[in-house]
Amino acid sequence: MSFLEFLNFHLVPGIVLGSVYAVGAIGITLVFGILRFAHFAHGDMATLGAFIALALVTAGLTPWAALPVAMAAVAVVAIVVDKLFYDYLKARPKIMTVMASLGVALMLRAVVQVVFGVDPRTYATGIVRPDDYFGILLRDRELYTLAAVVLIVVGLTLFLRHSRWGKAMRAMSDNPDLARLSGVDNRKVTMLTWAIVGALCAASGFMLGINNELQSMMGWQVLLPMFAAAILGGVGRVEGAVLGGLIVGVAEEMSIFILPAQYKAATAFVLLLLILLVRPRGLLNGKVL
Amino acid sequence: MKRKTIAGLVGAVLGAAVVAAPAHAQDVKIGLMAAISGPIAALAPPMAAASKLAVAHVNEQGGILNGGKLEAVLGDSACNPQNATDTATKAVNIDRVLAIVGPACSGAVLATANSVAVPAGVLLITPSGTSPEITKLADKDLVFRTLPSDDYQGRALARTLKARGIEKVAVAYLNNDYGKGLAESFKAEFEANGGTLAGYSGHEEGKASYRSELATLARGGADTLVIFDYGDGTGLTILRQSLENGFFKTFVGADGMKSEGLVKSIGAQNLDGFFVSAPVGEASASLDNFNKAYKAAGENIDAVFATTSYDAAFLAALAIEKAGGDKAKLAESLRAVAMAPGEPIMAGEWAKAKQLIAEGKDIDYKGAGGDHEFDAAGDVPGKYAFFKVSGTGYESVADMQ
Repeated sequence: MSFLEFLNFHLVPGIVLGSVYAVGAIGITLVFGILRFAHFAHGDMATLGAFIALALVTAGLTPWAALPVAMAAVAVVAIVVDKLFYDYLKARPKIMTVMASLGVALMLRAVVQVVFGVDPRTYATGIVRPDDYFGILLRDRELYTLAAVVLIVVGLTLFLRHSRWGKAMRAMSDNPDLARLSGVDNRKVTMLTWAIVGALCAASGFMLGINNELQSMMGWQVLLPMFAAAILGGVGRVEGAVLGGLIVGVAEEMSIFILPAQYKAATAFVLLLLILLVRPRGLLNGKVL
Repeated sequence: MKRKTIAGLVGAVLGAAVVAAPAHAQDVKIGLMAAISGPIAALAPPMAAASKLAVAHVNEQGGILNGGKLEAVLGDSACNPQNATDTATKAVNIDRVLAIVGPACSGAVLATANSVAVPAGVLLITPSGTSPEITKLADKDLVFRTLPSDDYQGRALARTLKARGIEKVAVAYLNNDYGKGLAESFKAEFEANGGTLAGYSGHEEGKASYRSELATLARGGADTLVIFDYGDGTGLTILRQSLENGFFKTFVGADGMKSEGLVKSIGAQNLDGFFVSAPVGEASASLDNFNKAYKAAGENIDAVFATTSYDAAFLAALAIEKAGGDKAKLAESLRAVAMAPGEPIMAGEWAKAKQLIAEGKDIDYKGAGGDHEFDAAGDVPGKYAFFKVSGTGYESVADMQ
């Protein structure tokens, strides 16, 4: 195997896949860090976002123009879901919210299946052969995906570090009671968090869809690698989620060298177990759950 | 107050059900376990339509037993053992079905047979579960299928490829009962005939990228990739990524890959080198009957598993009629109505069959999808054809031996 082959068929797919995982993992890590529960509906919210974008594409938009609209739509859906289900269980033990999110996952999936059917769909019919960049094969959609991920990560980091509301989110993540005493409106921060999480879900679902096809189970199937990425990087750490996503994505594509292909899906599991055993706070020292 | 109202309502509904029950005493239910969601979802609607056509034929032509209605209870087996078991449990315990048509996928058939149908003594006829493992079930003679085991298909496909001059292939199979069963019989026959496997690897479903697996398979130097997977699931992802990266030139799939969703999504112009094998009904008067009725119902007669789905439901109804609704006699009745000797019955000839059974005569159902002469394990021999993509669907290019 040549070095270029290694780059083209193992490393590049791993990085593209990893950056999609990263966008999903950021959302998971935000919910984990600020609202303190494991959000199982994350994958299916991503599916919903991907299919909303599909509806817009069918209506005549180009896929990348449909993305921001889909992100806004799912942001609203996430806020509504929080108001209808999670907010109601706020005072109860967190495990109830976790289980409720599993129920929400099933509901969102059912909505997608009823509205869009269960056949695989694509944003554009046909196949795209890659362009050659000095021997490295890349498709436009892969370049756009990487660019979009960089944009999202930089934007979000700046927002969390420097804006008033971003600081409020971080404060609530550190200590909700103290944050409230200092005048942070927890309800508004919760709403803002869900809006951001919903938008990130839509983005990850869309990027998964544009690089492959859309299926009603697609979000659910990437939930585990996304959780692994969030925990690997350190819960509550945006940079950690990005790092974790890339590691999980690349590790999955590389696992083929040492494991039979049918164990590829287990790679995320193994990484998750290892990190919990060796460094439970994650690579970048996140929260202990 | 609210709770009382609800309790009152529930009571009223239950009361109504009890009162209404005697009027429907003759009605018979069968479970229709289609894989409505999951990786073969696109195949499910035509299959369910075919089974329902059989039910409609029964009800139009005198009904079942003493003028009762045959009712098909539709459930979603999702091509998945857990969902299938749940759906079957509900069908058996709540709807009290006498027979189950389905589930569609092999893994689901195995789970349903082992944990629901066989313990409950319910007849199970699958129209599309093709794994060789189903042959080996300890099923008290309750599990049948209206299409041949993949052991035949894998071998026939291997011989067809050899006959077309393909000496070297790589195989990618979905790591479940369906994919693995096919891959093993294909491998055995292909190698026995002097072919070379340049790569042979299983994969899990639902991953977003298979490029590293495919690159590894392609390194073996074969031009042809044989995919044993579902065309509405992972099979589509694998085919797309192989085409986009130019890993292979020719692609061959089995019946699970024969999906129109796949053609729509990748585009027929990109699928010149894509072929699938699938079971076909032998030309017969019975098949003509079926095709005419199925077309009249607004369906596409080339849909995969349509004939076998019709036959499975029709056979279940015949067996119930023959057994007089007695669950314990269903298996032996099924063999009696499906196998020679006896007066031949074609697809759609319910009235004739009902009359002959009433007269105590032996009948032999000649189905749309085949004669259905079951062997000791409840399997049937079959016939396959090799298809290529044409327009938005598939067109047969050769029969397979």
